[in-house]
Amino acid sequence: MLERPGPTGGPARTGGIGLFILRRILQGLLVLVLVSIVVFAATQALPGDPARAILGRGATPASLAALREQLHLNQPVVQQYLTWATGLLHGDAGRSFAAQEPVSKLLGDRIVNTAFLLICSGLISIPLSILIGSYAALWRDRPFDVVTSLVTLVFAALPEFVVGVALVVLFATTVFHFLPAITLIPPGGRPWEQPIAIILPTLTLVLAVTPYVVRIMRASMVEVLESDYVEMARLKGLPERLVLRRRALPNALGPTFQVIAINLAYLAGGVIVVEYIFNYAGIGGALRDAVSNRDLPVVQAIAMIIAGLYVVLNLLADIATILVTPRLRTRL
Amino acid sequence: MADTPIERLGDLTATTLTRRRLLINAGVIAGGVMLAGPLAACGTTSTSTGGSPKRGGNFRLGVTGGGSGDIIDGQKIVTKPDQARLVAGFETLLEYDTNYKLQTTGLAESVTQDAPDKWTIKLKSGITFHNGKTLGADDVIYSLQRISDPKQGLFGTAGLASVDPNNITKVDDRTVRLNLKQADSTIGDQLGQYYNGIVPVGYTRAGEQIGTGAYKVQSFTKGQQSVHVRNTNYWRSGLPYFDTVTVIDFPDVAAQVNALLSGQIDAMTDIPAAQISVVRGHSNLAILEGQGADWRPLCMAIDMPPFDDNNVRQAFRLMVDRNAMLQQVFSGHGRIANDLYSPFDPAFDSSLPQRHQDIAQAKSLLHKAGKDNLVVDLHTTDGAAGMVDSANIFASQAKAAGVTVNVHNDPNYYGDLYLKLAFSVDFWGTRNFLPQVANGSIPTAPYNECHWPPKDSNYLSLYQQALAEPNAGKRADLIHQMQKLEYDQGGYIIPMFNNLVDAYSTKVGGLNNGSKATLNLDSFGHGYRSIYFTA
Repeated sequence: MLERPGPTGGPARTGGIGLFILRRILQGLLVLVLVSIVVFAATQALPGDPARAILGRGATPASLAALREQLHLNQPVVQQYLTWATGLLHGDAGRSFAAQEPVSKLLGDRIVNTAFLLICSGLISIPLSILIGSYAALWRDRPFDVVTSLVTLVFAALPEFVVGVALVVLFATTVFHFLPAITLIPPGGRPWEQPIAIILPTLTLVLAVTPYVVRIMRASMVEVLESDYVEMARLKGLPERLVLRRRALPNALGPTFQVIAINLAYLAGGVIVVEYIFNYAGIGGALRDAVSNRDLPVVQAIAMIIAGLYVVLNLLADIATILVTPRLRTRL
Repeated sequence: MADTPIERLGDLTATTLTRRRLLINAGVIAGGVMLAGPLAACGTTSTSTGGSPKRGGNFRLGVTGGGSGDIIDGQKIVTKPDQARLVAGFETLLEYDTNYKLQTTGLAESVTQDAPDKWTIKLKSGITFHNGKTLGADDVIYSLQRISDPKQGLFGTAGLASVDPNNITKVDDRTVRLNLKQADSTIGDQLGQYYNGIVPVGYTRAGEQIGTGAYKVQSFTKGQQSVHVRNTNYWRSGLPYFDTVTVIDFPDVAAQVNALLSGQIDAMTDIPAAQISVVRGHSNLAILEGQGADWRPLCMAIDMPPFDDNNVRQAFRLMVDRNAMLQQVFSGHGRIANDLYSPFDPAFDSSLPQRHQDIAQAKSLLHKAGKDNLVVDLHTTDGAAGMVDSANIFASQAKAAGVTVNVHNDPNYYGDLYLKLAFSVDFWGTRNFLPQVANGSIPTAPYNECHWPPKDSNYLSLYQQALAEPNAGKRADLIHQMQKLEYDQGGYIIPMFNNLVDAYSTKVGGLNNGSKATLNLDSFGHGYRSIYFTA
């Protein structure tokens, strides 16, 4: 550890990181407030009247008026926003127009299901892509690297729904028949109770994210391996294993964390497509349903959840980047 | 199971008329009444599938079209999964058989029209609700009053408009007398509609789901699934066969087909035409095709330009290549139509010549109306399969007659625009003629897209006469006159009726192929009571 540049340890640095995190959290909260305004404004601008959408062909003037009253659609927009935002702060996302149930009840299980799918995909794809990317860089221009490069390029170019449908055809319906084609989670059940049924959706998401991370990891590793300090470490006679693990990997991970964060956040959106293919009972299906029903409270709640996820993942990526990058850490 | 006693009245005779006692049989008074167990209810045109029945099992059904707006109510549906759930738990007084003939296989032993404005309903004995309570006259009165209550927003309200909810009397524990506000010979038809289910006194949608059906609700999550368990006290002895029925919502038809292919569900509703050959390629799967009478009319408002000129309406009807449209929209799974609805009604006039595409005649009619090079807007929405396709194909066919049709696919169509448009596409299910008129073709109908009838026409008086006419033959004459008016001047373009095409695993038996059931999968295997897993 002698070569590490800059000061190490000390209370000043800890305070620096603490302050930095606090600042980022406050920024994140500000972003969420702005997002809540945008989400609310956007859902107000959605064409169509929720009351009419709910009543459909049975909308009579009397029933419309009664329903508008019940849904508080007659209040001024600003007041509607404040009621909604205050409710959110108290953990109350309102009542679904279509289901006539609290949004929290409607989404509770679905959030758990989607989160589980995202966590499984993340836990598999992150280590896997770091490993593949590192080895591809290490064995640059050798067969492993060439094949990896080609395969990741293909999967990066394929949209999730193509990959998902292909996996279903391959493993569930047409070629082989050993995996379930869709994920049926009974209401009140949990996805981990039937791990076999989440293999295909997880695999689809892993295949959607891994290629990007592999490519950025490889590029960043290649750059690091050519750097002076790696050269120096090697010249000093440090074993290659230590050079890679102690010198190259931490430095290559910095930029990769950012890409991982963006990709995981992207997953929160991509999961909608995957849930659709596999009939997976998550927030994606609920969002699609809510949009078609003009179910504004549900749309708003899901938009806020996804925005929150973006903020949290970016915050985590920034913190992780700083922790593996002494150069940045010391500047705080 | 024990057969219900067969009551024969024979053809309409002087005797029956003098007794003013007409047993309902398919809206006409002709014919003996076939009463038997559910399996014997198979009509002549349909064939039952599968081998010998085995008891038990969980029947898993995948249905598209649902979402968080799903409900369970014995008298209302919003989405298609709601239909699949309603029929599991609730039953009607009369039932339509697989030939769309009314039968007394339901909860009523008989339904008779004693006078043009008086009907008597006699219940079968020994029928109990899921909670063990015996079905009685009070439950029927409560059910009919609930349907008649406009505040409930139920489907059956318009059809039972002639029922006076305050003048339904209990004759005895199993007999109810309806004293109507006006003569109405279609009450029997209404009592056979699946959404007019009989519920117990005090029933509410929010409360416990108690019906007389073969299965009772165990759990229900909107937009996901419901589980229904066998009613052990079911009044049809020996039925049903399954232990449980699970109705699963699918947002996407591809996932639904995949679930069927991989054996995760046993049956699915509404398979797209493109997937039929995929299913046929699997020996353990089969297609069930019902001759539905669903229709997707193109509606011309007869009081709005340019359709206020009958020449234009007739020209538009002659611009349609019905066979091509049937092929393109439903891949041929249906039958071409003649701009008239209710083909299963015994009084349907099939003698009117079938309209075919005639561009020369259409052009000459348009020229006569001074409407050469006409440009019109056609509004549609994705409200039911085929609505958007029908509009687009009509637009391309109309070009041949020099008419430019601008199609507007508007997701908010059923909001502000509905019923106010000159030219639009809508969708309807299967009904007999007079009940359909009550819903869509008179000024008081809730969904009169065409603003029918014309002010100077005697259509409305013919309708009132037909409604009041207890004699089926005379009623048919009046209906033929009404249909002729619509055929000659009407605002509907009805190019075709589409079939209901479903897919199922061949281990399911008892489904009737080719049935005229109004709901998918042979009306969901008659509320899942007549289908089973084969041994």
